[in-house]
Amino acid sequence: MSRSLEGAAVVGIGRSPFVRSSGRTTLSMAAQAAREALADCGLTAADVDGFTCYSTGDSAGPSQVAHAIGVDDLGWSLSVLGGGNIVTSTVAGAAAAVLSGQAEVVVVYRVLGSQTRYGRALERIEVDGEGQFAGPHGYLVPPQWFAMFCRRHQYEYGSTAADLGAIAVQERDHAVRNPHAVARSPITLDDYLNSRWISEPFRLFDCCYEIDGAVAIVVTSAERAADLPHRPVHLLGAADSNRFGGSVDQWDDLSCMYSRDTAPRLWSRTGLQPADIDVACMYDCFTFTVMATFEDFGFCAKGEVGDYFRAGRATYGGDVVVNPHGGLLSEGYIHGLNHHYEAVLQLRGEAGDRQVSGAETALVTSGAGPFGGALVYGTAAA
Amino acid sequence: MTTTHEERPSVGADPLSLPPQPVPDAVTAPFWAALAEGRLAMCRCGDCGLWLQPPLERCRRCAGPTRFADVAGTGTVYSFIVQHRATVPGYLDDLPYVVALVELDEQAGLRLPARIVGVDPAQVRCGLRVRAEFADLPGGDFTVAVFRPVDGL
Ligand SMILES: [Zn+2]
Repeated sequence: MSRSLEGAAVVGIGRSPFVRSSGRTTLSMAAQAAREALADCGLTAADVDGFTCYSTGDSAGPSQVAHAIGVDDLGWSLSVLGGGNIVTSTVAGAAAAVLSGQAEVVVVYRVLGSQTRYGRALERIEVDGEGQFAGPHGYLVPPQWFAMFCRRHQYEYGSTAADLGAIAVQERDHAVRNPHAVARSPITLDDYLNSRWISEPFRLFDCCYEIDGAVAIVVTSAERAADLPHRPVHLLGAADSNRFGGSVDQWDDLSCMYSRDTAPRLWSRTGLQPADIDVACMYDCFTFTVMATFEDFGFCAKGEVGDYFRAGRATYGGDVVVNPHGGLLSEGYIHGLNHHYEAVLQLRGEAGDRQVSGAETALVTSGAGPFGGALVYGTAAA
Repeated sequence: MTTTHEERPSVGADPLSLPPQPVPDAVTAPFWAALAEGRLAMCRCGDCGLWLQPPLERCRRCAGPTRFADVAGTGTVYSFIVQHRATVPGYLDDLPYVVALVELDEQAGLRLPARIVGVDPAQVRCGLRVRAEFADLPGGDFTVAVFRPVDGL
Protein backbone atom coordinates (compact mmCIF):
# COMPACT_ATOMS: atom_id res chain seq x y z
CA MET A 1 0.00 0.00 0.00
CA SER A 2 1.24 3.45 -0.86
CA ARG A 3 2.31 5.42 2.18
CA SER A 4 2.48 8.73 0.37
CA LEU A 5 0.29 11.02 -1.65
CA GLU A 6 2.39 10.60 -4.78
CA GLY A 7 0.09 9.58 -7.54
CA ALA A 8 -2.34 12.42 -6.88
CA ALA A 9 -2.23 15.76 -8.62
CA VAL A 10 -4.02 19.08 -8.78
CA VAL A 11 -5.21 19.61 -12.34
CA GLY A 12 -7.66 22.48 -12.16
CA ILE A 13 -8.05 25.74 -10.25
CA GLY A 14 -10.91 28.22 -10.12
CA ARG A 15 -12.12 31.14 -8.05
CA SER A 16 -14.74 33.83 -7.78
CA PRO A 17 -13.90 37.53 -7.64
CA PHE A 18 -12.46 38.56 -4.26
CA VAL A 19 -14.35 41.55 -2.87
CA ARG A 20 -15.03 43.18 0.47
CA SER A 21 -18.75 42.61 0.29
CA SER A 22 -20.28 40.61 -2.53
CA GLY A 23 -23.96 40.47 -1.67
CA ARG A 24 -23.80 36.87 -2.97
CA THR A 25 -24.60 33.56 -1.34
CA THR A 26 -21.89 31.09 -0.47
CA LEU A 27 -23.56 28.61 -2.81
CA SER A 28 -23.30 31.02 -5.74
CA MET A 29 -19.64 31.80 -5.18
CA ALA A 30 -18.63 28.18 -4.50
CA ALA A 31 -20.46 27.02 -7.63
CA GLN A 32 -18.67 29.65 -9.69
CA ALA A 33 -15.26 28.63 -8.38
CA ALA A 34 -16.03 24.93 -8.95
CA ARG A 35 -17.21 25.53 -12.52
CA GLU A 36 -14.09 27.56 -13.27
CA ALA A 37 -11.84 24.90 -11.81
CA LEU A 38 -13.42 22.23 -13.99
CA ALA A 39 -13.32 24.41 -17.10
CA ASP A 40 -9.66 25.09 -16.34
CA CYS A 41 -8.83 21.39 -16.67
CA GLY A 42 -11.25 20.57 -19.46
CA LEU A 43 -13.56 18.45 -17.30
CA THR A 44 -17.31 18.70 -16.79
CA ALA A 45 -19.71 18.00 -13.96
CA ALA A 46 -20.19 14.53 -15.43
CA ASP A 47 -16.54 13.74 -14.67
CA VAL A 48 -16.80 14.69 -10.99
CA ASP A 49 -17.61 12.07 -8.38
CA GLY A 50 -16.17 13.66 -5.26
CA PHE A 51 -16.64 16.96 -3.46
CA THR A 52 -15.23 18.25 -0.19
CA CYS A 53 -14.95 21.51 1.70
CA TYR A 54 -13.93 22.77 5.10
CA SER A 55 -15.88 25.40 6.94
CA THR A 56 -16.88 26.67 10.35
CA GLY A 57 -20.48 25.85 9.57
CA ASP A 58 -20.77 28.98 7.49
CA SER A 59 -21.07 27.74 3.93
CA ALA A 60 -23.07 25.70 1.46
CA GLY A 61 -22.08 22.05 1.71
CA PRO A 62 -20.37 19.80 -0.81
CA SER A 63 -23.50 17.98 -1.96
CA GLN A 64 -25.30 21.29 -2.52
CA VAL A 65 -22.47 22.81 -4.52
CA ALA A 66 -22.06 19.64 -6.58
CA HIS A 67 -25.75 19.63 -7.35
CA ALA A 68 -25.67 23.32 -8.24
CA ILE A 69 -23.08 22.78 -10.95
CA GLY A 70 -24.85 19.77 -12.46
CA VAL A 71 -23.34 16.74 -10.73
CA ASP A 72 -26.15 14.17 -10.59
CA ASP A 73 -24.64 11.30 -8.65
CA LEU A 74 -21.97 12.33 -6.19
CA GLY A 75 -20.15 9.29 -4.86
CA TRP A 76 -17.96 10.92 -2.20
CA SER A 77 -18.95 13.97 -0.19
CA LEU A 78 -17.10 15.17 2.87
CA SER A 79 -17.70 18.35 4.84
CA VAL A 80 -14.92 19.07 7.29
CA LEU A 81 -15.35 21.29 10.33
CA GLY A 82 -12.39 23.60 10.64
CA GLY A 83 -10.58 26.63 9.37
CA GLY A 84 -7.02 27.27 8.34
CA ASN A 85 -5.90 24.44 10.59
CA ILE A 86 -7.69 21.84 8.51
CA VAL A 87 -6.86 22.86 4.92
CA THR A 88 -4.01 20.42 4.54
CA SER A 89 -6.05 17.53 5.90
CA THR A 90 -8.87 18.38 3.52
CA VAL A 91 -6.70 18.53 0.40
CA ALA A 92 -4.70 15.48 1.46
CA GLY A 93 -7.98 13.73 2.23
CA ALA A 94 -9.19 14.39 -1.29
CA ALA A 95 -5.94 12.96 -2.62
CA ALA A 96 -6.33 9.93 -0.39
CA ALA A 97 -9.86 9.41 -1.68
CA VAL A 98 -8.51 9.40 -5.22
CA LEU A 99 -5.62 7.09 -4.41
CA SER A 100 -7.86 4.64 -2.58
CA GLY A 101 -10.43 4.53 -5.36
CA GLN A 102 -13.26 6.16 -3.42
CA ALA A 103 -13.44 8.88 -6.04
CA GLU A 104 -11.74 9.67 -9.31
CA VAL A 105 -12.14 13.42 -9.62
CA VAL A 106 -12.58 15.50 -6.46
CA VAL A 107 -13.36 19.21 -6.15
CA VAL A 108 -12.05 20.88 -2.99
CA TYR A 109 -13.45 24.31 -2.19
CA ARG A 110 -13.69 26.97 0.47
CA VAL A 111 -16.07 29.90 0.30
CA LEU A 112 -16.49 32.87 2.62
CA GLY A 113 -19.50 35.17 2.55
CA SER A 114 -20.07 38.47 4.27
CA GLN A 115 -21.68 36.74 7.24
CA THR A 116 -18.26 35.38 8.21
CA ARG A 117 -15.77 37.78 9.72
CA TYR A 118 -13.48 36.23 12.27
CA GLY A 119 -11.64 39.37 13.34
CA ARG A 120 -14.58 40.79 15.28
CA ALA A 121 -17.34 39.23 17.33
CA LEU A 122 -19.41 42.24 18.32
CA GLU A 123 -22.62 40.26 18.07
CA ARG A 124 -21.51 37.60 20.52
CA ILE A 125 -23.58 37.85 23.67
CA GLU A 126 -22.99 34.35 25.04
CA VAL A 127 -20.09 31.93 24.82
CA ASP A 128 -19.92 28.26 25.64
CA GLY A 129 -17.12 25.70 25.45
CA GLU A 130 -13.63 26.93 26.18
CA GLY A 131 -14.66 30.41 25.06
CA GLN A 132 -16.67 30.81 28.27
CA PHE A 133 -13.41 31.32 30.19
CA ALA A 134 -12.07 33.96 27.80
CA GLY A 135 -15.06 35.77 26.32
CA PRO A 136 -16.17 37.42 29.58
CA HIS A 137 -12.75 39.13 29.70
CA GLY A 138 -13.20 40.62 26.25
CA TYR A 139 -10.89 38.02 24.73
CA LEU A 140 -12.49 35.92 22.02
CA VAL A 141 -11.19 36.48 18.48
CA PRO A 142 -8.13 35.32 16.50
CA PRO A 143 -6.27 38.66 16.30
CA GLN A 144 -6.24 38.63 20.09
CA TRP A 145 -5.06 35.02 20.32
CA PHE A 146 -2.17 35.44 17.95
CA ALA A 147 -1.17 38.83 19.34
CA MET A 148 -0.79 36.86 22.59
CA PHE A 149 1.57 34.47 20.77
CA CYS A 150 3.45 37.36 19.22
CA ARG A 151 4.03 39.04 22.57
CA ARG A 152 5.56 35.90 24.00
CA HIS A 153 7.87 35.62 20.99
CA GLN A 154 8.95 39.22 21.48
CA TYR A 155 9.68 38.44 25.12
CA GLU A 156 11.66 35.28 24.40
CA TYR A 157 13.49 36.20 21.20
CA GLY A 158 13.45 39.99 21.05
CA SER A 159 11.50 40.17 17.79
CA THR A 160 10.17 43.65 17.07
CA ALA A 161 7.40 45.61 15.43
CA ALA A 162 9.83 46.36 12.59
CA ASP A 163 10.27 42.61 12.06
CA LEU A 164 6.52 42.15 11.70
CA GLY A 165 6.45 45.20 9.45
CA ALA A 166 9.07 43.68 7.16
CA ILE A 167 6.66 40.80 6.51
CA ALA A 168 3.68 43.09 5.91
CA VAL A 169 5.65 45.34 3.55
CA GLN A 170 7.08 42.42 1.58
CA GLU A 171 3.74 40.73 1.08
CA ARG A 172 2.08 43.95 -0.01
CA ASP A 173 4.91 44.56 -2.45
CA HIS A 174 4.16 41.16 -3.99
CA ALA A 175 0.43 41.92 -4.21
CA VAL A 176 1.12 44.94 -6.41
CA ARG A 177 1.69 42.48 -9.28
CA ASN A 178 -1.45 40.48 -8.54
CA PRO A 179 -4.60 41.83 -10.23
CA HIS A 180 -6.76 39.52 -8.11
CA ALA A 181 -5.51 40.96 -4.81
CA VAL A 182 -7.80 43.26 -2.86
CA ALA A 183 -4.97 45.38 -1.42
CA ARG A 184 -2.40 46.41 -4.04
CA SER A 185 -1.09 49.77 -2.89
CA PRO A 186 2.50 49.48 -1.69
CA ILE A 187 3.13 50.28 1.96
CA THR A 188 6.29 51.37 3.73
CA LEU A 189 7.56 50.41 7.12
CA ASP A 190 6.37 53.81 8.35
CA ASP A 191 2.90 53.11 7.02
CA TYR A 192 2.99 49.85 8.92
CA LEU A 193 4.19 51.46 12.16
CA ASN A 194 1.63 54.24 11.84
CA SER A 195 -1.30 51.90 11.27
CA ARG A 196 -3.65 51.79 14.22
CA TRP A 197 -3.42 49.35 17.05
CA ILE A 198 -5.90 46.50 17.00
CA SER A 199 -4.74 44.12 19.71
CA GLU A 200 -1.27 45.28 20.70
CA PRO A 201 1.28 44.09 19.61
CA PHE A 202 -0.86 43.77 16.43
CA ARG A 203 -1.60 46.75 14.27
CA LEU A 204 -4.03 46.93 11.39
CA PHE A 205 -1.38 45.83 8.88
CA ASP A 206 -0.62 42.71 10.90
CA CYS A 207 -4.08 41.40 10.14
CA CYS A 208 -5.30 39.64 7.02
CA TYR A 209 -7.89 41.18 4.76
CA GLU A 210 -11.25 39.49 5.33
CA ILE A 211 -13.28 39.32 2.14
CA ASP A 212 -15.98 37.43 0.26
CA GLY A 213 -14.93 34.86 -2.29
CA ALA A 214 -14.42 31.22 -3.20
CA VAL A 215 -11.56 29.05 -4.41
CA ALA A 216 -11.80 25.53 -5.82
CA ILE A 217 -9.15 23.05 -6.88
CA VAL A 218 -9.58 19.75 -8.73
CA VAL A 219 -7.67 16.70 -7.50
CA THR A 220 -7.31 13.51 -9.50
CA SER A 221 -4.82 10.75 -10.21
CA ALA A 222 -1.51 11.42 -11.91
CA GLU A 223 -2.55 8.97 -14.65
CA ARG A 224 -5.67 10.94 -15.45
CA ALA A 225 -3.76 14.21 -15.08
CA ALA A 226 -1.46 13.22 -17.91
CA ASP A 227 -4.39 13.51 -20.34
CA LEU A 228 -5.48 16.96 -19.18
CA PRO A 229 -4.42 20.32 -20.61
CA HIS A 230 -2.15 21.73 -17.91
CA ARG A 231 1.13 20.54 -16.50
CA PRO A 232 0.00 18.50 -13.48
CA VAL A 233 0.99 19.71 -10.05
CA HIS A 234 1.85 16.68 -7.93
CA LEU A 235 1.39 16.23 -4.21
CA LEU A 236 4.76 15.26 -2.79
CA GLY A 237 3.62 14.85 0.79
CA ALA A 238 1.60 16.34 3.61
CA ALA A 239 1.63 16.46 7.38
CA ASP A 240 -0.59 17.78 10.14
CA SER A 241 -0.23 18.32 13.86
CA ASN A 242 -2.75 18.90 16.61
CA ARG A 243 -2.07 19.46 20.29
CA PHE A 244 -3.97 20.70 23.34
CA GLY A 245 -7.30 20.13 21.65
CA GLY A 246 -6.70 23.29 19.67
CA SER A 247 -6.59 25.44 22.81
CA VAL A 248 -4.62 28.59 22.13
CA ASP A 249 -4.53 29.33 25.85
CA GLN A 250 -3.04 25.99 26.91
CA TRP A 251 -0.61 25.40 24.00
CA ASP A 252 2.70 25.02 25.77
CA ASP A 253 4.98 27.45 23.93
CA LEU A 254 3.42 30.53 22.38
CA SER A 255 6.67 31.51 20.69
CA CYS A 256 6.12 28.70 18.18
CA MET A 257 3.18 26.98 16.55
CA TYR A 258 1.93 23.61 15.30
CA SER A 259 4.71 23.80 12.74
CA ARG A 260 7.18 22.81 15.45
CA ASP A 261 5.69 19.30 15.11
CA THR A 262 4.61 19.43 11.48
CA ALA A 263 7.94 20.47 9.98
CA PRO A 264 10.02 17.41 10.89
CA ARG A 265 7.09 15.20 9.91
CA LEU A 266 6.73 16.88 6.53
CA TRP A 267 10.43 17.00 5.70
CA SER A 268 10.77 13.36 6.70
CA ARG A 269 7.84 12.26 4.55
CA THR A 270 8.99 14.20 1.49
CA GLY A 271 12.74 13.83 1.85
CA LEU A 272 12.93 17.56 1.23
CA GLN A 273 14.30 20.47 3.24
CA PRO A 274 13.75 24.23 3.22
CA ALA A 275 16.55 24.80 0.70
CA ASP A 276 14.59 22.70 -1.81
CA ILE A 277 11.55 25.01 -1.74
CA ASP A 278 11.13 27.65 -4.45
CA VAL A 279 7.79 29.13 -3.42
CA ALA A 280 6.48 29.23 0.15
CA CYS A 281 2.80 30.01 0.54
CA MET A 282 2.88 30.61 4.27
CA TYR A 283 -0.48 30.80 6.01
CA ASP A 284 -0.67 34.42 7.09
CA CYS A 285 -3.85 35.17 8.98
CA PHE A 286 -1.41 37.51 10.72
CA THR A 287 2.15 38.60 10.08
CA PHE A 288 3.24 36.75 13.18
CA THR A 289 1.89 33.47 11.83
CA VAL A 290 4.45 33.78 9.04
CA MET A 291 7.18 34.61 11.53
CA ALA A 292 6.57 31.66 13.84
CA THR A 293 5.94 29.05 11.16
CA PHE A 294 8.78 30.23 8.92
CA GLU A 295 11.14 29.63 11.83
CA ASP A 296 9.55 26.31 12.69
CA PHE A 297 9.83 25.02 9.13
CA GLY A 298 13.54 25.77 9.33
CA PHE A 299 14.04 28.60 6.87
CA CYS A 300 15.90 30.53 9.56
CA ALA A 301 16.60 30.48 13.28
CA LYS A 302 14.27 31.82 15.96
CA GLY A 303 14.30 35.59 16.01
CA GLU A 304 15.88 36.00 12.57
CA VAL A 305 12.82 36.39 10.37
CA GLY A 306 12.97 40.18 10.32
CA ASP A 307 16.57 40.19 9.12
CA TYR A 308 15.75 37.48 6.59
CA PHE A 309 12.97 39.54 5.03
CA ARG A 310 14.90 42.82 5.16
CA ALA A 311 17.80 41.18 3.34
CA GLY A 312 15.52 40.32 0.43
CA ARG A 313 15.78 36.61 1.03
CA ALA A 314 11.97 36.11 0.99
CA THR A 315 11.38 37.60 -2.44
CA TYR A 316 12.48 37.29 -6.07
CA GLY A 317 16.22 36.71 -6.32
CA GLY A 318 16.39 35.56 -2.71
CA ASP A 319 16.25 32.16 -1.06
CA VAL A 320 12.52 31.47 -1.38
CA VAL A 321 9.63 33.62 -2.54
CA VAL A 322 7.14 33.93 0.30
CA ASN A 323 3.54 34.52 -0.76
CA PRO A 324 4.10 35.87 -4.27
CA HIS A 325 0.36 36.61 -4.50
CA GLY A 326 0.44 38.82 -1.43
CA GLY A 327 -1.00 36.19 0.88
CA LEU A 328 -4.04 36.46 3.07
CA LEU A 329 -2.66 39.81 4.22
CA SER A 330 -3.02 41.42 0.79
CA GLU A 331 -4.66 39.12 -1.76
CA GLY A 332 -7.41 38.40 0.74
CA TYR A 333 -8.55 35.81 3.22
CA ILE A 334 -10.06 32.72 1.61
CA HIS A 335 -8.98 30.69 4.61
CA GLY A 336 -5.79 29.53 2.95
CA LEU A 337 -7.19 27.75 -0.09
CA ASN A 338 -6.05 30.68 -2.22
CA HIS A 339 -2.51 29.67 -1.23
CA HIS A 340 -3.09 26.38 -3.07
CA TYR A 341 -4.37 28.25 -6.11
CA GLU A 342 -1.23 30.37 -6.16
CA ALA A 343 1.11 27.42 -5.68
CA VAL A 344 -0.48 25.64 -8.65
CA LEU A 345 -0.27 28.75 -10.80
CA GLN A 346 3.41 29.19 -9.95
CA LEU A 347 4.32 25.56 -10.62
CA ARG A 348 2.55 25.67 -13.96
CA GLY A 349 4.58 28.73 -14.87
CA GLU A 350 1.38 30.71 -15.42
CA ALA A 351 1.75 33.41 -12.77
CA GLY A 352 2.49 36.18 -15.25
CA ASP A 353 4.22 39.25 -13.87
CA ARG A 354 4.80 37.58 -10.55
CA GLN A 355 6.11 34.25 -11.85
CA VAL A 356 8.90 32.79 -9.76
CA SER A 357 11.30 31.69 -12.45
CA GLY A 358 12.00 28.00 -12.57
CA ALA A 359 9.61 27.20 -9.70
CA GLU A 360 9.53 23.43 -9.19
CA THR A 361 8.48 23.02 -5.56
CA ALA A 362 6.00 24.89 -3.42
CA LEU A 363 5.38 24.61 0.31
CA VAL A 364 1.83 25.45 1.34
CA THR A 365 1.16 25.82 5.05
CA SER A 366 -2.16 26.15 6.83
CA GLY A 367 -3.21 26.98 10.32
CA ALA A 368 -1.83 28.80 13.32
CA GLY A 369 -1.30 28.11 16.98
CA PRO A 370 -1.80 24.59 18.31
CA PHE A 371 -2.98 22.97 15.10
CA GLY A 372 -2.30 23.07 11.40
CA GLY A 373 -0.50 21.37 8.59
CA ALA A 374 1.48 21.76 5.42
CA LEU A 375 2.04 20.06 2.12
CA VAL A 376 4.50 20.25 -0.72
CA TYR A 377 3.61 20.40 -4.38
CA GLY A 378 6.05 19.64 -7.17
CA THR A 379 6.19 19.84 -10.95
CA ALA A 380 7.38 16.24 -11.10
CA ALA A 381 6.24 13.26 -9.08
CA ALA A 382 8.90 12.48 -6.50
CA MET B 1 -26.04 29.75 37.63
CA THR B 2 -27.31 29.14 34.15
CA THR B 3 -29.53 31.86 32.82
CA THR B 4 -31.90 32.03 29.96
CA HIS B 5 -32.19 34.73 27.39
CA GLU B 6 -35.41 35.85 29.04
CA GLU B 7 -33.72 36.35 32.39
CA ARG B 8 -30.77 38.27 31.05
CA PRO B 9 -30.96 42.01 31.43
CA SER B 10 -31.85 43.76 28.25
CA VAL B 11 -28.91 45.35 26.53
CA GLY B 12 -31.31 47.91 25.17
CA ALA B 13 -30.09 50.19 22.44
CA ASP B 14 -26.43 49.35 22.92
CA PRO B 15 -25.68 45.70 22.24
CA LEU B 16 -21.99 46.41 22.83
CA SER B 17 -22.38 47.35 26.46
CA LEU B 18 -22.03 43.89 27.98
CA PRO B 19 -19.14 41.46 27.52
CA PRO B 20 -20.03 37.98 26.27
CA GLN B 21 -21.76 36.02 29.02
CA PRO B 22 -20.56 32.50 29.87
CA VAL B 23 -22.84 29.54 29.23
CA PRO B 24 -21.86 26.98 31.88
CA ASP B 25 -22.34 23.31 31.10
CA ALA B 26 -22.43 20.19 33.24
CA VAL B 27 -18.64 20.12 33.53
CA THR B 28 -17.86 23.82 33.89
CA ALA B 29 -20.70 24.87 36.19
CA PRO B 30 -18.67 24.35 39.41
CA PHE B 31 -16.07 26.85 38.15
CA TRP B 32 -18.73 29.56 37.96
CA ALA B 33 -20.40 28.47 41.18
CA ALA B 34 -17.10 28.81 43.04
CA LEU B 35 -16.49 32.29 41.65
CA ALA B 36 -19.95 33.32 42.82
CA GLU B 37 -18.79 32.37 46.32
CA GLY B 38 -15.53 34.29 45.97
CA ARG B 39 -13.35 31.26 45.32
CA LEU B 40 -11.18 30.46 42.32
CA ALA B 41 -11.38 26.71 41.77
CA MET B 42 -9.94 24.66 38.96
CA CYS B 43 -10.65 21.17 37.72
CA ARG B 44 -8.35 18.51 39.16
CA CYS B 45 -8.04 14.75 38.88
CA GLY B 46 -9.01 13.05 42.13
CA ASP B 47 -6.66 10.16 41.44
CA CYS B 48 -3.42 11.53 40.00
CA GLY B 49 -3.75 15.21 40.92
CA LEU B 50 -3.38 16.63 37.41
CA TRP B 51 -4.98 20.05 36.97
CA LEU B 52 -7.13 20.25 33.86
CA GLN B 53 -8.09 23.39 31.97
CA PRO B 54 -10.49 23.46 30.24
CA PRO B 55 -12.25 21.15 32.70
CA LEU B 56 -12.98 17.53 31.81
CA GLU B 57 -15.36 15.00 33.32
CA ARG B 58 -12.53 12.46 33.45
CA CYS B 59 -8.78 12.98 33.66
CA ARG B 60 -7.06 12.95 30.27
CA ARG B 61 -4.05 11.21 31.77
CA CYS B 62 -5.50 8.48 33.97
CA ALA B 63 -9.27 8.69 33.30
CA GLY B 64 -9.83 9.26 37.02
CA PRO B 65 -12.81 11.25 38.27
CA THR B 66 -12.30 14.99 38.52
CA ARG B 67 -13.47 17.63 40.99
CA PHE B 68 -12.94 21.33 41.45
CA ALA B 69 -10.37 22.38 44.02
CA ASP B 70 -9.50 25.88 45.21
CA VAL B 71 -6.25 27.36 43.94
CA ALA B 72 -4.12 29.99 45.66
CA GLY B 73 -5.03 32.59 43.07
CA THR B 74 -1.43 33.58 42.48
CA GLY B 75 0.39 33.30 39.20
CA THR B 76 2.57 34.85 36.55
CA VAL B 77 1.72 36.73 33.37
CA TYR B 78 2.76 34.30 30.64
CA SER B 79 1.76 36.67 27.85
CA PHE B 80 -0.64 39.58 27.38
CA ILE B 81 -2.28 41.90 24.89
CA VAL B 82 -3.45 45.45 25.08
CA GLN B 83 -6.84 45.70 23.45
CA HIS B 84 -7.23 49.09 21.78
CA ARG B 85 -10.29 48.52 19.61
CA ALA B 86 -13.71 47.12 20.33
CA THR B 87 -13.63 43.74 18.65
CA VAL B 88 -15.59 41.97 21.37
CA PRO B 89 -18.54 43.52 23.21
CA GLY B 90 -18.03 45.02 26.62
CA TYR B 91 -15.39 47.15 28.39
CA LEU B 92 -15.81 49.92 25.84
CA ASP B 93 -15.22 52.49 28.56
CA ASP B 94 -12.07 50.66 29.62
CA LEU B 95 -10.21 50.73 26.29
CA PRO B 96 -7.39 50.09 26.10
CA TYR B 97 -7.67 47.10 28.43
CA VAL B 98 -5.18 44.34 29.17
CA VAL B 99 -5.89 40.62 28.86
CA ALA B 100 -3.25 38.15 29.97
CA LEU B 101 -2.73 34.46 30.03
CA VAL B 102 -2.00 33.95 33.70
CA GLU B 103 -0.02 30.85 34.52
CA LEU B 104 -1.21 29.65 37.90
CA ASP B 105 1.30 28.56 40.51
CA GLU B 106 -0.32 25.15 40.97
CA GLN B 107 1.05 23.59 37.78
CA ALA B 108 3.38 24.58 34.94
CA GLY B 109 1.31 25.47 31.88
CA LEU B 110 -2.00 25.74 33.77
CA ARG B 111 -3.31 29.02 32.41
CA LEU B 112 -6.36 31.21 32.64
CA PRO B 113 -7.17 34.14 30.37
CA ALA B 114 -8.13 37.15 32.45
CA ARG B 115 -8.16 40.92 32.52
CA ILE B 116 -5.30 42.57 34.38
CA VAL B 117 -6.43 45.49 36.53
CA GLY B 118 -4.85 48.16 38.63
CA VAL B 119 -1.87 48.82 36.39
CA ASP B 120 -0.97 51.06 33.48
CA PRO B 121 -1.04 48.86 30.36
CA ALA B 122 2.44 50.11 29.48
CA GLN B 123 3.78 48.62 32.72
CA VAL B 124 2.57 45.07 32.15
CA ARG B 125 5.31 42.57 31.36
CA CYS B 126 5.64 38.86 30.78
CA GLY B 127 6.73 37.38 34.09
CA LEU B 128 4.73 39.84 36.18
CA ARG B 129 3.48 38.31 39.43
CA VAL B 130 -0.25 38.68 39.88
CA ARG B 131 -3.00 37.72 42.31
CA ALA B 132 -6.66 36.99 41.63
CA GLU B 133 -9.48 39.15 42.87
CA PHE B 134 -13.15 38.97 42.14
CA ALA B 135 -15.28 41.26 40.06
CA ASP B 136 -18.89 41.28 38.99
CA LEU B 137 -19.20 40.53 35.31
CA PRO B 138 -21.24 43.33 33.73
CA GLY B 139 -24.61 41.74 33.11
CA GLY B 140 -25.28 40.85 36.71
CA ASP B 141 -25.29 37.06 36.71
CA PHE B 142 -21.66 36.05 37.05
CA THR B 143 -18.48 36.74 38.97
CA VAL B 144 -15.11 36.61 37.23
CA ALA B 145 -11.54 36.43 38.48
CA VAL B 146 -9.38 39.32 37.36
CA PHE B 147 -5.74 39.70 38.31
CA ARG B 148 -3.77 42.55 39.86
CA PRO B 149 0.01 42.90 40.17
CA VAL B 150 1.16 41.54 43.53
CA ASP B 151 3.73 44.16 44.41
CA GLY B 152 2.25 47.20 42.75
CA LEU B 153 4.21 49.02 40.12
ZN1 LIG C 1 -5.52 11.63 36.57
